[in-house]
Amino acid sequence: MDEQARAILQRILRKLPSKKTPSTLRAWGCLSAEQLEDLDYTQPKWLLLENLISKCEESGLRLKDVTKLEMVYHIENPNQGKWHAFKLTEPEDEAVSVDFTQFKEMFVAHLEEVVQHVSIRMKKQEDGAVWIRMAWGDNLTRPNHLKPTYAVHYLQTPYVFILNLSAKHKPFLYQALVLSSRHTSINEAHLSGRSLTAMRDLLMKQYQQVFPNQERTLKERNAPPSHPNIEKEHAESAERTHQMACEAFGDGTVPKLETAVYKLETRYRGSSNDTLSDRDELFRGVVKFSSPNLLESLRHCVSTGMAEAPVTPLLSSITQKGRNYFVIAEKAPGATSQTPAR
Amino acid sequence: MEGRVSAVNTPAHTRLTRRKSYGRNCMESPVVFWQTPGHLTTLGTRIPTSRGAARSRNITSKVDPEQLALLVKHEWKLAYVTPLYRFQHTQLKLYSKHLTAFILAEKQQGVAIEVGLEAGFKVTLSTIHGMAETEEDAETVFIQIHSKPTFGADALKPVWRGWLTCVNGDGEYLRSLPPDFVSLPLFCSSGSESLTSLVRVWFERTFDCNFGSLFLNSTTLNWLAALWTGCHPTSNIRFLKLSWTMPTQPSLDIMYTVNPQDAWELWNSIHTEDSAEGRIHIDEVQRFMNGLETHFFRHFKIYLSAGTLTKVATSLGSAHHEGKIKIGSSDYIDTLLTLLTECALHRTPV
Amino acid sequence: MALLAPYTKIPEPNTATILLVESEEKFQSRLADAIVQRENDAIVNVRLARRLPLPVENSETRPRVDLVVFIVNLLSEHSLQVVENSLSHLRSDFFLGKVCFMVTDARCGALTQERLLSVKKLAASHRCPLICAEHQTEDGVAMAASRLLTLLKVSAGLSPVATTALYLSTLTRCTVPSELDED
Repeated sequence: MDEQARAILQRILRKLPSKKTPSTLRAWGCLSAEQLEDLDYTQPKWLLLENLISKCEESGLRLKDVTKLEMVYHIENPNQGKWHAFKLTEPEDEAVSVDFTQFKEMFVAHLEEVVQHVSIRMKKQEDGAVWIRMAWGDNLTRPNHLKPTYAVHYLQTPYVFILNLSAKHKPFLYQALVLSSRHTSINEAHLSGRSLTAMRDLLMKQYQQVFPNQERTLKERNAPPSHPNIEKEHAESAERTHQMACEAFGDGTVPKLETAVYKLETRYRGSSNDTLSDRDELFRGVVKFSSPNLLESLRHCVSTGMAEAPVTPLLSSITQKGRNYFVIAEKAPGATSQTPAR
Repeated sequence: MEGRVSAVNTPAHTRLTRRKSYGRNCMESPVVFWQTPGHLTTLGTRIPTSRGAARSRNITSKVDPEQLALLVKHEWKLAYVTPLYRFQHTQLKLYSKHLTAFILAEKQQGVAIEVGLEAGFKVTLSTIHGMAETEEDAETVFIQIHSKPTFGADALKPVWRGWLTCVNGDGEYLRSLPPDFVSLPLFCSSGSESLTSLVRVWFERTFDCNFGSLFLNSTTLNWLAALWTGCHPTSNIRFLKLSWTMPTQPSLDIMYTVNPQDAWELWNSIHTEDSAEGRIHIDEVQRFMNGLETHFFRHFKIYLSAGTLTKVATSLGSAHHEGKIKIGSSDYIDTLLTLLTECALHRTPV
Repeated sequence: MALLAPYTKIPEPNTATILLVESEEKFQSRLADAIVQRENDAIVNVRLARRLPLPVENSETRPRVDLVVFIVNLLSEHSLQVVENSLSHLRSDFFLGKVCFMVTDARCGALTQERLLSVKKLAASHRCPLICAEHQTEDGVAMAASRLLTLLKVSAGLSPVATTALYLSTLTRCTVPSELDED
């Protein structure tokens, strides 16, 4: 075991809660059941680390086995670090028929062609996600396993999620992804966050959507008053607002998006009697919304009347366009159109 | 969040040592049968409707820059303090000794011991000359606690800092204090909670005073936003950052960062320079904030007024409504401290 | 715009109707429950609204409103703004003893002092009483309900004591001490 392997092991062990350690090590599958049983998981982490390292050395495990553990950790904890979403565009005819083996072969070949020292590990999950771990080196140095890049691609979909990609390696990875998935180009989806699952659910619309003409019963929210003598005057309009909120942000459990950022460069639209309204320059600012569950917060905000219904396109674009970063720019004088696009 | 300040942790002011004649009394207006008791404060409800614009003064010419540097960059937790009985600026050396002994004694009782701190403490109290603005203001007192390492001649490590100050305090009130009292109504501390409470207890016992937590309401934060924005032409504020928390479930934080130049132009279009000697009126402050909120509303259709303004920040400093401040630059320090001194006096129970 | 009027409908015997207006709908339903559970002698109808004006569709089924209560959450400026905007949708004869203000979170001291003062001025200028309610405890809600019932019974003419809403309101209406009324 070299220094890098020790460092990776130490890092994983530190991040893992003691309770989950045994199951993660089991999922790794590199140590025998007896060896795993020998370990005392209640020990302080530094001591556990020493024992784990000696077990690994017993079994002759090496750096590449440790990187496998790291991958297991990331697959089990997809809500760590900052993920960025990308979208592959203009698929070729063969794009629909690319299978994992094909993809893997092509990806490795394309990447190794342009980067001399790169270590790639790939795994397909049951849900169709292909997890790719890349450790980069350059012409002279060996791959640095302490700063790996992760990419997750769902075969037959245009979506790719990437973690820890430096600008230097960007073009190589882009090219390898585009070529091996049989697409023509790849673009940033302007969606990022800590939760890979939330971003995937949002982009693939894997949550309960509500459509304008859909018949719905909102009885559970607007429960009839507890007493026949109590009457809600605004029951109907409250129901309408709630419907609109659900149309914009989804119903039930929604993807756990945490932030949305809007860069505003628009004309000042404050109170009418302010002199600033007739100036030509744009009013610049950045608005950041954050919440443990942004879509749920916004839905609640609209349905309780803290925001006015109908929901503004700026906010409903989060789900409609699957983005959480927007640049709202207006042409300097005159133009009034608002386009939530870069 | 203002909402968290429930009835349970709202301190009931039972202190009855009235020193002021114009504090309100429940008995004054028998008709107000709705009145919630417990809000008798030093300044009553005299809330100023205008104040002087922030002016950059070369404070380093008045105050030792080294001492001034101590106040910048740390995050301070705010509290109000009732007037100190028989406090003398000439006795600081003696106080240092007493406070050191007190902290050591308390720590040795086994209360809240921190590993590595047992070795000992050195407490120093000192005066920061020149912070006071008027004759009535008492000079600022700075307290520093260093821990002494057990081994070797390592340098003393500062573990806690705090200061008591009064800048532009209400003259009428300060003059009305009996001669034995010194009013330093604003207490700022930075360091472990356990040391803060020990210092508080020592002050409370020694000078028969009382500490209480100081929240900054939205009016105070609005004032700061406007005052700081007004500084932009002379001292680049770099950004005006306003944070709100909406009472949704789960709660929603909205942070609005405004370009400093645009914020200033908005302020400039509202604030008329010619109005009585550079004074700013609360109406102008309200219109400024309303202007920003309306601009936001036109985009997102969210009523920010349904939430709580929690934080205002520029490069000159930041203020959090839970009573935490950071001083980014000493340039406009007196404007900030004047406002906070006033808040402290407003909170001080009679 | 149709104003809500107090005397356009014929009252039902032994019935009183109270309208609770609160933008956030946080406190009103608990208060409504407490009100209907507390009253045994008369039939009390509670109408809950987010704001005024009330929807026109309900005007047929809505009984005569005997007391309008505006609830202001002192921690929210918006809740005060909604109340201010709602006031103009009442016919002026409501203000002869059939309107009342209620605030919550008045205990939060310095945080809410200025807003409390605004509500106080608002109530005083409309010659209406102002009640502080403790919404965080069961007792507080019950107390608020009983205070409102007392006012309601008088304004609906159900009170056995010979008093009128107008007379009561001259006694209970909110006044602002002159020292606070400078601006």
